[in-house]
Formats: sequence, C-alpha cells, structure tokens
Amino acid sequence: MMNVTCHDRDRIFQDGTPGEWAALEAHSANCPVCAEELRAWKSLSVAAQEMRDYRESPAFWPRIERALAEEAVRKTQRAGRSGWLSFFPRIPLGWQTAVAGAFVLVLTISAGWIYLHPPDRIVESDKTLLKSTALENVERAEAVYVRAIDKLAEETRPQLENPATPLLANYHEKLVVLDSAIADLRVQAGRNPSNAQLRHQLLAMYQEKQHTLEEVLEAKKQ
Amino acid sequence: MGTMGLALPWKARIASVPRQRETRVEPSERFAGGPKPAVVDAMTEDAALAAGCRAGNLQTYERLYSIHGARMRNLARNLLGNLVDAEDAVQETFLKVQRSIAGFRGQSSFITWTYRILINTCYDARRSRLRKKEVANDDSGETPRPEPRAPGAHPSLRMALERALATLTKHQRDVFLLYEVEGFRHAEIAGMLEITETASKNTLFQAKKNLRLILEPPRSSAAEAR
Repeated sequence: MMNVTCHDRDRIFQDGTPGEWAALEAHSANCPVCAEELRAWKSLSVAAQEMRDYRESPAFWPRIERALAEEAVRKTQRAGRSGWLSFFPRIPLGWQTAVAGAFVLVLTISAGWIYLHPPDRIVESDKTLLKSTALENVERAEAVYVRAIDKLAEETRPQLENPATPLLANYHEKLVVLDSAIADLRVQAGRNPSNAQLRHQLLAMYQEKQHTLEEVLEAKKQ
Repeated sequence: MGTMGLALPWKARIASVPRQRETRVEPSERFAGGPKPAVVDAMTEDAALAAGCRAGNLQTYERLYSIHGARMRNLARNLLGNLVDAEDAVQETFLKVQRSIAGFRGQSSFITWTYRILINTCYDARRSRLRKKEVANDDSGETPRPEPRAPGAHPSLRMALERALATLTKHQRDVFLLYEVEGFRHAEIAGMLEITETASKNTLFQAKKNLRLILEPPRSSAAEAR
C-alpha cells in the first residue's frame, strides 16, 4: 500500500484515486487529525442525504402530460395556420440565411437576364416547362397542407366519432359535407390540373375544414 | 462566534439517518479499458429518450419522467426552496425540452442537456421571483418555506444544511447539490454547468471546506472562540 502523509489529505479529498483513499484511511488509523478530518468530510456526504426526497407525487405526471399534449396541439395549429408556405422544412437559421441569400442572387440574375433578353425570345417549349413546374409546386404544397389538416383531424377524431354535445354533432356533419365537397373538387382538379379556379375552390374548402377542426379543438378545451 | 449555532453533532445525528447509498468517494468515476456495459446501456437509453422526444412520443416523455422526475423535482426544490415553484420549474423544463428538442445536436448527453435546462429554468424562476418581491417591496427575503419531509428525516439537520448552503457561491451550491445530493458524476456536472471536470472537482472541494467551517468549525477554532 502506498504511503500518504497529512499534506496529501486535501489533494486526496479533491481528486484522490481509490488507492490513495485507502492509504489515507490507513494513515488515519494512527493520525487523530486526519481521522477527524476524514470523518467530517464523509459526514457532509451523509448529511447531504437529508436534502434528498424522492417520494412519488401521483398527480404530477398527469399535470405535465396535459401540458405537453396542449403544447403539441398548439404546435399543430400553428403549423396549420401558416398555410401554403408551411411546407418549408424547419431548417437552422444559418441555412435559412444562406438560402435567402441564394434566392436574392437568383432573383437578381433572373431580372438581369429578362432585362437583357426580352420575353418574346422565350420559346414555346420553355413556357410549357414553367407551367408544369408551377403546377408541381402547387401540388406539393397542397399535399403538405392536407397532411397538416389530417393531423388536426386525427386530434379531433375521438370527439367527433362520439359527439358529446349537439354542437360537436353539428361540426361532425359539417366536416362530412366538406370532405365530400373536397373529394368532388379533387376529382375535377385531377381531370383538369391547370384550372386555377378549381385550385382556389379546393383551397377554400381546405381552409374551411381547418377552421372547423380548430373550432372543435376549442370546444374540447371548453 | 456566529457560526457556532450551526455546529452539528455529526456522529449522533448521522447514526440515525438511513443511508440510501454509500458515501461518495471520487475514484468510482475512473474507468479503465473503455466503457463498461452499464455505461453503454445508459448511452443507449439516452439516445432512445432523445429520439422518442424528438418524435413527439408522449410515452418517451413519461419514461423520462419515471427515470428522472423525482430527481429533477428534488433538485429544483433544493434550488428554489419550495415544492410549488419546483414543480412549476420541472413542468416548464419538460415543455422546453419538447419545444427545443429539434435543436438538440447531441453535443452532450440528452439527460445532461435536460438537467441544464432545468437548472437554467430554476435560476430564471428565482430571478423573476426576486424581481416580483422587489416590485412588491417585500423585504421578507429568500427564506424557504418549510416543506413536508420524508419520514425519518431530520428537519434541523436539513435546515442547518440549507442555511449553510445559502452562504456558498451559486456554483459551489450547484455542484454540491448535484454531486452529493443527486449523485451525479463530475463529468455529468461539468456538462450541466458548462464547466470543466476539474473545475467541478475544485468547486466541490471548496464547497465542502466552507460547509465544514460553517457547520462544524475545527476544534482549534472552537477552543479559540471559548
């Protein structure tokens, strides 16, 4: 066993190895000062247990769970309200700045290009390409929006399947009608994808559905 | 001497305190030959908790609570002085974890990160409580209200410790509570308080030295005082 002296005591208290602690214990057997210091040092650790109370609190987790669930609903609603632009992924601020910078650069170059090359030079095939790209963007944004509304609908499903009040029963009926109208419009939009009027009607229906679902959630809270 | 009133007859008191764990001695933190299976399990558990919380899974939050809830509540109570504020702080911590889990990049362990949020939340709560007291011109001070204690606890020993802890610096108090009361390792405390492991060890040493002076002055000083 290694030898330690009284001078090593503080260093061992601070960052001693198991061997050093054992050596200090052995040294303390013959050194009353170190024995007293060691006892007091350990006593502090034991006394600290007095500040530990891990008793169960049965009502505490349900309270946290409720707060978490409410926060999740608020998050979904915020996502739904942000509308057609909500399909942008949540990216870090640095990347957002970089993307915004790149967007401004592209915009500047495009403006310069259009200024130098007037529109009459654009060939017919390019116009078609632009149209199909725009349509793709609309469809992608629409899909994300529909998913967000579906999530909202999932939240309200228990209330609507077994409506506890006449108000909820009315909401349920309204949503059935809206779903049916949405389905019709989607069929028509599928046949005529470039019809902007149909897309606007479809958006209005989705917004109505979103508002109705939000009202159901509000009713649930009350 | 002012501190004499806080001096504790350690042996008499400690003998009747039920020991829940062994006295903490630093060397247990030293590992040789790579991580032990228990450490690997803890890492897996930590990663699973982080992934579940990121996915918004409420069951994972419940698991986090079942593993750490009591410890978080106890730490918050020791930092804030009462159970009501402590429970508010723990609830707020869970909400902050939910709100900011997307930004958690895994630089520290998920649990360390969660406790860091808890500690900051407790300090925010304390600051806002102090501001409110200033506004209300209340000079009652920061004296914690007495709380119901676990059966077998020594209220006088606890109160003496609380009073002694109040005289330490914020860092010394935090490190003492995290190491000696909650049983965290210095590496974990370093992550929670954003200090080095060595700084954590030094701070604990200073904290215990100061506590020893306050609670049980060395016999030579006691004799001088007489």
